[in-house]
Amino acid sequence: MSKILGIVSPENDTVIVEGLMDYRPIPAISFLGRYRLIDFAVSNLSNSHIDHIKVFVKKQPRSLIEQLGDGRQYGINSKRGRLQILYNDLGGMSSLYNTDINTYLRNIEFIEDADEEYVAITPGYQIYSLDFQKVLAQHLETGADVTVLYKTTDRAKERFIGCPALTIEKGLVTESYTNLGKRKNAAISMESYFMSKELFIKLVREAHAASSAYSLRDILRDKVGSLVIMGYHYKGYFACINSMNSYYKTSMELLDYSTAKELFRPEWPIYTKTNDSVPAFYGPEAHAEHSVIANGCRIEGTVINCALGRGVIVEKGAVVKDAILLPFSHIGKDCHVEYAVVDKWAKVNRIKEIRGTSSYDVAYIRRRDNI
Amino acid sequence: MRSNMLAMILAGGRGSRLKELTSNVAKPAVHFGGKYRIIDFPLSNCANSNVDVVGVLTQYESVLLNSYCAQDQRWGLDTKNGGVFILPPREKDSGFGLYRGTADAITQNIDFVDHYDPEYVLILSGDHIYKMNYAKMLEEHKKHNADLTIAVMEVPMKEASRFGIMVTDETDRITKFEEKPAHPSSNLASMGIYIFNWKLLKDMLVKDAKNEESSHDFGKDIIPTLLAKGKRIYAWRFAGYWKDVGTVDSLWEANMDLLDPNSTLDLSDPSWKIYTQDIATTPQFIGETASVEHSFINQGCIIDGDVEGSVLFNDVRIEEDAKVVDSVLFPGSKIGKGAVVTRAIIGEGCEVAPNRKVGSKKGDITLLTKGEDHE
Repeated sequence: MSKILGIVSPENDTVIVEGLMDYRPIPAISFLGRYRLIDFAVSNLSNSHIDHIKVFVKKQPRSLIEQLGDGRQYGINSKRGRLQILYNDLGGMSSLYNTDINTYLRNIEFIEDADEEYVAITPGYQIYSLDFQKVLAQHLETGADVTVLYKTTDRAKERFIGCPALTIEKGLVTESYTNLGKRKNAAISMESYFMSKELFIKLVREAHAASSAYSLRDILRDKVGSLVIMGYHYKGYFACINSMNSYYKTSMELLDYSTAKELFRPEWPIYTKTNDSVPAFYGPEAHAEHSVIANGCRIEGTVINCALGRGVIVEKGAVVKDAILLPFSHIGKDCHVEYAVVDKWAKVNRIKEIRGTSSYDVAYIRRRDNI
Repeated sequence: MRSNMLAMILAGGRGSRLKELTSNVAKPAVHFGGKYRIIDFPLSNCANSNVDVVGVLTQYESVLLNSYCAQDQRWGLDTKNGGVFILPPREKDSGFGLYRGTADAITQNIDFVDHYDPEYVLILSGDHIYKMNYAKMLEEHKKHNADLTIAVMEVPMKEASRFGIMVTDETDRITKFEEKPAHPSSNLASMGIYIFNWKLLKDMLVKDAKNEESSHDFGKDIIPTLLAKGKRIYAWRFAGYWKDVGTVDSLWEANMDLLDPNSTLDLSDPSWKIYTQDIATTPQFIGETASVEHSFINQGCIIDGDVEGSVLFNDVRIEEDAKVVDSVLFPGSKIGKGAVVTRAIIGEGCEVAPNRKVGSKKGDITLLTKGEDHE
């Protein structure tokens, strides 16, 4: 058995993906054709031989329960391992109080009772590929109280806006601030933390004592200087889905296989739940380029620079460009869709033109809408 | 849900006319339709018909087939009291018992069937591509108070001599059975799908096993004997897609059927899904230099060249300037830069070297398998 308990943390209220988040918690949002965001966190933990995972959910747990099940599709032994879904049944009414800390506290016995010595905490809405056993090794070697994962970037002016950033001196975190896009270079915190289970429980209680609205991120910021917080420099692909803009840009960036192969490594599979869909069908008049397409799609029209979820239909004469079509959405005959995000089961039929103007102004079509 | 019918799938055949495709796997494990193996069809039909105890009788090159079928959660058959049970020949007190015929395969597993004590036994072949509701067939079987019900379909008269042919009366009771007749008296062909009352079948099998002149085959021995005894044997008419892909050409054709708008094989019907192995791959990546037309493409493919009229399994790689036309590409195959593939089946893991030409517009379908791919 692993010495590490996996904790998938819920989004706090600075994570806002307009539209999509009305229907599901952020980690349940469909991503790049066949995934949901949470697949990355759970696959990374499972691939790291962590088979006891607790997923904390902020609200509307239905879609995550269906996606995760007992975890067997992520390679977790359904008898020996455990994937548990926990949520704050008291916090749902108020976003101010519905914090990660209050969700942990509400379920604290489940964490206290776990046999594991360490916790790996990782958000359910980040895109990366990482071995937590390597983090454990560094954590033990440095003797840190807390190890925090970070990614360096020279694009902090346009990416990772709203993410916490770190100042790191010789591996030690000396400052934590929010990236507001002022500087080009930054060490972005991946908000994945490694520490002893004992310290984690202590921090949760301290955070709650400090403020009923505190998050783990807040208490750790306060502890910079008093706790030994070391950085773990992650060098692979990383994206944080904390806004519609980051959701859109990350999806578009991953349409390039040369970028995607950093994330999807053959020895480190990203698992998801199968839908038993047929292979994608391209009709005689279909045209597709520079796109990522999931199974179950029927494409009779033109698809350029798009990510298509499972079971999407693009009818004859339809043109879809620079768009994300979520599972089972339907683009009718001769409709033009550009710079758009079309939510699940939505149907574009009567309105023949849907156009956003850029990645900052994406047209969003609501779930199950018929327009 | 429980059913009082148990299924036995005969999956021991080699299918030698599929050439290298079955040189080390049994025919039921051969790939089909971009994602599936042939045996996914009877197994999914069982799952969708609420038949949840399924025995799979394997013999020829059974290792891959056995491990494939043993993962019964793929078809949702890992229910509380159900499952997929692999039944290869075994060593017995009387020696090692190879299956001597289709009926003998069941005879040697009477203990397995008895353990589940079903009222009805459904005998299936693991070689056929079709969608069928066995629950409806069972309903008819009960309605007729039949001893045996055989699924039949109309075939063109000129092909009838390749099949077991039935002659029926106006109530669909079978009055005559001809196994591969030179001059068929009807075009109602047996599909090799039978529902027996287990008590009667068991009794027949025990007697047949002792008959030294018997070839221990359902079509040649068991059914003619039942008919001669005046047992109630009924035909159950099936209309729809059904294919026995015996040859490389017919396997290619069946794959091409998936691109034909008039084909009756609809794999995308959500009420009758065909389930299969869940492979952890990415979605398909269509590159900037790619062109994809009229094709059926599975997840994990990375396409930078041209694809037209083709069926691609998971993790196929098509490099820039390569052209694939009217072909079937098995999992993990790779078409190098500038290569041209026409009317071919490219085997699992095959690599077609850059600028190489494979296949031709006319004549037989070209089959390329691993080992000959670098020639």
